[in-house]
Amino acid sequence: MAAREEDTGNIQHRQKDRAAVLPMVLIVLFSSAVGIVLGLLIDWFPTPASTQADPIDTLWDVLVIASVPVFVGVQAFVLYCVWRFRMRPGQELQDGPPIHGNTRLEVVWTVIPAVLILGLCTYAYFVLEDIEEAKANEWRINVVGQQFTWTFEYPEAITGGKPIRTAQLYVPKDQPVHFYVKSQDVLHDFWVPAWRMKIDAVPGMETRYRVTPNRTGRFSVVCAELCGIGHAYMRQTANVVSREDFDRWLEEKKSRGGTAGGGTAGGEEVDGKTLFAEGNGEATACGACHTLSDAGTSGTTGPDLDEALRGMTADEIRKQIADPNSEIAEGFGEGIMPDNYEQLLSPEELDALVKYLEGVSK
Amino acid sequence: MEAAALTHGAHAHDEHHGPPPANSSSRVEPQLLGMLLFIISEIMVFGAFFTAYFFIRVVAGSDWFPVDDFALPKVVAGVNTAILVSSSLTMHWALEGAKRGNRAHLRAGLVLTLLLGATFLFVQINEYVNLTQEGLTPKVLAQGSVFYGLTGLHGAHVFIGLLLLTFATVRAFRGHFTPEEHRGVEVPGIYWHFVDVMWILVYSSVYLL
Amino acid sequence: MRLRAPGLTRAGLFGLLGLAFSYALVCGLRAIGGDDPVLQGDAVARVAMLAVPLFMLVGLGAFDYWFYWAAGRPTRPEDHSSHGAHSWRDYFRVNTDHKVIGIQYTVTSFFFLFVGGLLAMLMRAELAQPGRQFVDADTYNGLFSVHASILIFLFIIPVFAGLANFVIPLMIGAPDMAFPRLNALSFWLLPLAGTMMLLSFFAPGGSFATGWTAYAPLSETSPIGQEFFTIGVQFAGASSIATALNFLVTIITMRAPGMSFFRMPLLVWANFSTSLLVVIATPFIAASQFFILLDRGLGFRFFDSGAGGDVLMYQHVFWFYSHPAVYIMMLPGFGIVSEIIAVKARKPIFGYRMMAFSLLAIVVLGFTVWAHHMFVSGMQSWIRIPMMITTAVIAVPTGIKIFSWLATLWRGVLRLDTPMLFALGFLTMFTLGGISGVMFAMIPIDIHTSDTYFVVAHIHYVLFGGSVFTIFAGVYYWFPKMTGRMFDETLGRLHFWMTFVFFNLSFGPMHWIGVKGMPRRVYDYSEGFAGWNLFITVASFCLGLSMLVFVYNIVASWRGGPRAAANPWRALTLEWQVSSPPPIFNFDHIPTVVGGPYEYGVPGAVHGVFKGGARVEQPAGAAVEPSRE
Ligand code: HEA
Ligand code: HEA
Ligand code: HEC
Ligand code: CUA
Ligand SMILES: [Cu+2]
Repeated sequence: MAAREEDTGNIQHRQKDRAAVLPMVLIVLFSSAVGIVLGLLIDWFPTPASTQADPIDTLWDVLVIASVPVFVGVQAFVLYCVWRFRMRPGQELQDGPPIHGNTRLEVVWTVIPAVLILGLCTYAYFVLEDIEEAKANEWRINVVGQQFTWTFEYPEAITGGKPIRTAQLYVPKDQPVHFYVKSQDVLHDFWVPAWRMKIDAVPGMETRYRVTPNRTGRFSVVCAELCGIGHAYMRQTANVVSREDFDRWLEEKKSRGGTAGGGTAGGEEVDGKTLFAEGNGEATACGACHTLSDAGTSGTTGPDLDEALRGMTADEIRKQIADPNSEIAEGFGEGIMPDNYEQLLSPEELDALVKYLEGVSK
Repeated sequence: MEAAALTHGAHAHDEHHGPPPANSSSRVEPQLLGMLLFIISEIMVFGAFFTAYFFIRVVAGSDWFPVDDFALPKVVAGVNTAILVSSSLTMHWALEGAKRGNRAHLRAGLVLTLLLGATFLFVQINEYVNLTQEGLTPKVLAQGSVFYGLTGLHGAHVFIGLLLLTFATVRAFRGHFTPEEHRGVEVPGIYWHFVDVMWILVYSSVYLL
Repeated sequence: MRLRAPGLTRAGLFGLLGLAFSYALVCGLRAIGGDDPVLQGDAVARVAMLAVPLFMLVGLGAFDYWFYWAAGRPTRPEDHSSHGAHSWRDYFRVNTDHKVIGIQYTVTSFFFLFVGGLLAMLMRAELAQPGRQFVDADTYNGLFSVHASILIFLFIIPVFAGLANFVIPLMIGAPDMAFPRLNALSFWLLPLAGTMMLLSFFAPGGSFATGWTAYAPLSETSPIGQEFFTIGVQFAGASSIATALNFLVTIITMRAPGMSFFRMPLLVWANFSTSLLVVIATPFIAASQFFILLDRGLGFRFFDSGAGGDVLMYQHVFWFYSHPAVYIMMLPGFGIVSEIIAVKARKPIFGYRMMAFSLLAIVVLGFTVWAHHMFVSGMQSWIRIPMMITTAVIAVPTGIKIFSWLATLWRGVLRLDTPMLFALGFLTMFTLGGISGVMFAMIPIDIHTSDTYFVVAHIHYVLFGGSVFTIFAGVYYWFPKMTGRMFDETLGRLHFWMTFVFFNLSFGPMHWIGVKGMPRRVYDYSEGFAGWNLFITVASFCLGLSMLVFVYNIVASWRGGPRAAANPWRALTLEWQVSSPPPIFNFDHIPTVVGGPYEYGVPGAVHGVFKGGARVEQPAGAAVEPSRE
């Protein structure tokens, strides 16, 4: 331990020290106070909309309070030294006192941060326990990521009938939900900023997190893991609604037999509009990416079909669906729109879809 | 590689005089230390491949060979292991020869090591051919990828080792190496022993366990 | 004759040869294997990327010596023809002089800083407004991927190796590095790796666009451009392993008499620790890219969950290198700052031993935290807790360093010239970057902020505010020694203040928009962030301009700056005791070290004594003249 104070004997130095330390400390304390106030005044987060958000935001504030003094302290110290000890004219050949170290000091600035750190870790640990703890009567909702959309699956337990697959996420307020996230192709990340929670969607794995939405509204669902060309556009909406509205929505869904799981059971008549807005079991809803007022969808990944469809013949539309990359719409990337709809949609479905789109395009 | 540090030629002219002899601040020779550090890196490369092995076999829990009736030839590989181990012995013998200035031993030892090493490689490649004919290619299974990955990585190292040994042999037959100056045998030797030990790890974890 | 002599021309020829070779090899093999088509572009490209650089190195003559050696033909160790630089041309051939190599390294990596930075300028231009400006999504993904890869693998890591290459042998009183030829080889690998990464923009399907992290499986399904990264990294990695090995051997075996480990300057300590990290960690990124290459090239299934593979394995292997890598990118900077602060504050480094030990502590801890990049990756959740603790604990040894530097300033006589300004700028900015790091360590915070611009802010506060500031400090500090010229102090300060201000204006706001919910790696974003992004873009352009000041200052001073004295900073460490630039063989006689390196303020203290006390005079011709063409 290289801790010798060469100049312990030197009283004059000691006094100089004290004289210097006092204003130093005052400056640090004052500027820390200001810094903390500022740090807390800033409105950092998006609107909190889940019971998970609150403890996380509080943890953040605590971290701000803990780290501002560290940061401000270092700044103030440097500035103070610059102001007080900078070389004055005539000192060109002068050196500072040869202080090699000071054991007491070094112990102090090893122990204090260590304690602070461990304290913060413990706190963070409890917050983690808190936001991840299981709740009573949780719903399980499956989330499937694929380039470049999310599909949400409501199992029997919720629907009380056939499972429902849809591109729209609806959750009742105050309903604890356990999201099971999967991926069909590459990594994605299911993130709802307003809920503060995110988890990667990993092919071949099932990842999960818990959320209890506690604020109604429409919140954006963001894909936070680079997944290719459409990554920036892999956005959807999480609709947190009152229990009544949710049940209404659910009923509406169930009434449309066609969209329940694994493709349409042959025979029964297919509705192109529903297909467009909801997709079928396999195929992602067109509406996830396309805006089409008639079907009430507002996707922005692909061209706004209210415009794009104008003057398109049935064949052109069919071609665009079957083989989207045949010609790329102005301003959009190739390979974003899935090119496997011909496989995913039954011939009847494809016909219905084209017929419908041709209809609206008139 | 040899250290310019150890080189000095006393020319008169300022421009052409060599560097001053470096102070050697450690008992270890630079070449040896270099090789040891290099081996540490190598161990880490294998470490990464063993990580893959660990994750695929343990974490992902994919069952290990025999997997859908693909089995690994434990016995043949076992014999092969014996061959490689013995090559380590001959290598040691060669080095002893060099140290004792016994050129015959040196040359014989090196040649034997070369032959044994080559045999090992040959058997390994032969094993690959058989397995691929049975249909176990790296493409069908992640386990296959790990198997070919680990053994292939090791095979590559055997090849490099053989290369280094060839250099040493060539120089041995050109009359290099004396009891004082035999680094050119010692350093490749160390590498060879490392390759050998690595194989024992690979064999036991991939074939036996 | 001209063609057969080692050099750039021969390298070019051999490059073509390599191309032909790969072409023949692939087509030959496919013909034998009866594959169809016999000519497969991707396969040829793949093999060419591996073979051509090696052929070119042979062409350069990087291996000539070893070929002689291997064949048992007489080698001429006493011949120093490949040593030292007598004209600017000598910088463009294989040169075994650590001083020449140091300058080759530094200049090359600064070239890559400018390229990588210009890519960043394009990114910022695209991000100036929401919606698509002038590049499409794929190009944008390519831009930030190459930006990061170039700046990490071809700027930060090599530039530190470059400075150390020049300084360390001088500092420890060695005539050169332990393995001069290996040293030359590891330099020449760099321009090849860098060129490869940049060429990826011309690849069909665009450059590699999966981020510098190249996560599987995306990086396995993306076009051939990806492999310019996969393979380029192999060469960059090989280069840094070789250099690290060289440093370790040099530092361990070639220190001047009397220079015990605890008399080594802290820069030497820093590079010693860094080299340990490199030697142990770098093989992991090499392996991670091998896996990708095998999967892409030979159809292996390492990451195919369908076939029993494990996707997360990639991230574990990758981060087991790439977290230590972030300390590879910081520890040498710590060393540089220690040198500068001691000299410029005219005081001994406060708590020298703790400074050394904290470096080692960071090395050890650095290997225990990799999974803090994977808090939201879906890995087994229990791993997160130990990782959180180890990660946060790294703040302690780092804190020791910060506080010791502060204590060194205390009651010193601070010379606030350019190197010192950058050192102080580093102190303040890195602290902020580190603190945001500690916030990430707190898992619940990371769950929200991971993969947002908060991470981007952290990256740049530690890498720019940290590493780059120390690099500028070091370049200014050793500029007189390297070039024998003084830089322009006024321009230097202008450069500092522009950089400092616009750096904060560029990256400061990213903290906020990140927490607010702007994800990273997107070329389009919601209207809400438009204002701040425009602001950031403008600020970052100014930051770019500040670089021009630096470029001008360096170029002008190197060409026509006033001649530098041997020891303009009145420093004690050995490199300043020889002429500027140092004589071709560094020392006539190896000095003897008699005391610590930082005994400032101790009356009559010396670090090293030279035979007969005489300074080594600069021999004719050894003067390093910069390019005048
Ligand atoms: C120079 C490079 C560098 C350095 C030094 C660091 C240093 C640190 N980093 Fe950083 N990091 C990166 C480069 C670096 N990082 C990069 C490039 C990424 C993004 C990778 C990607 O692309 O995804 C990243 C990402 C990253 C993440 C993942 C974020 C995410 O993607 O979700 C985390 C999480 O824990 C992290 C933590 C830390 C910590 C705790 C430190 C610590 O070492 C910091 C320690 C320093 C201090 C704390 C300041 C000084 C200390 C004091 C003054 C003492 C008192 C302080 C306290 C008590 C708080 N970093
Ligand atoms: C190694 C250090 C390093 C450095 C120095 C920089 C420097 C800069 N970086 Fe970068 N950056 C990273 C490492 C670095 N970066 C990493 C690791 C990532 C993560 C990538 C990923 O997600 O995979 C990243 C990502 C990243 C992003 C996020 C991309 C995204 O997620 O979508 C952005 C966006 O603003 C950015 C901007 C900048 C800017 C403006 C600079 C500026 O400081 C550049 C300044 C330099 C110059 C401008 C060049 C020299 C100047 C001239 C030649 C003068 C002429 C120039 C003009 C004025 C036009 N960087
Ligand atoms: C993952 C996002 C996505 C989904 C899902 C999607 N599309 Fe698209 N679509 C795009 C993009 C991006 C384009 C523009 C690029 C192109 O032309 O391929 C596009 C283009 C089109 C076009 C051509 C528009 C033009 O201007 O030429 C039509 C028509 C179309 N889509 C219809 C559909 C239909 C019908 C479905 C559902 C069966 C569907 N899309 C599903 C993303 C999507
Ligand atoms: Cu899906 Cu990004
Ligand atoms: Cu890290």
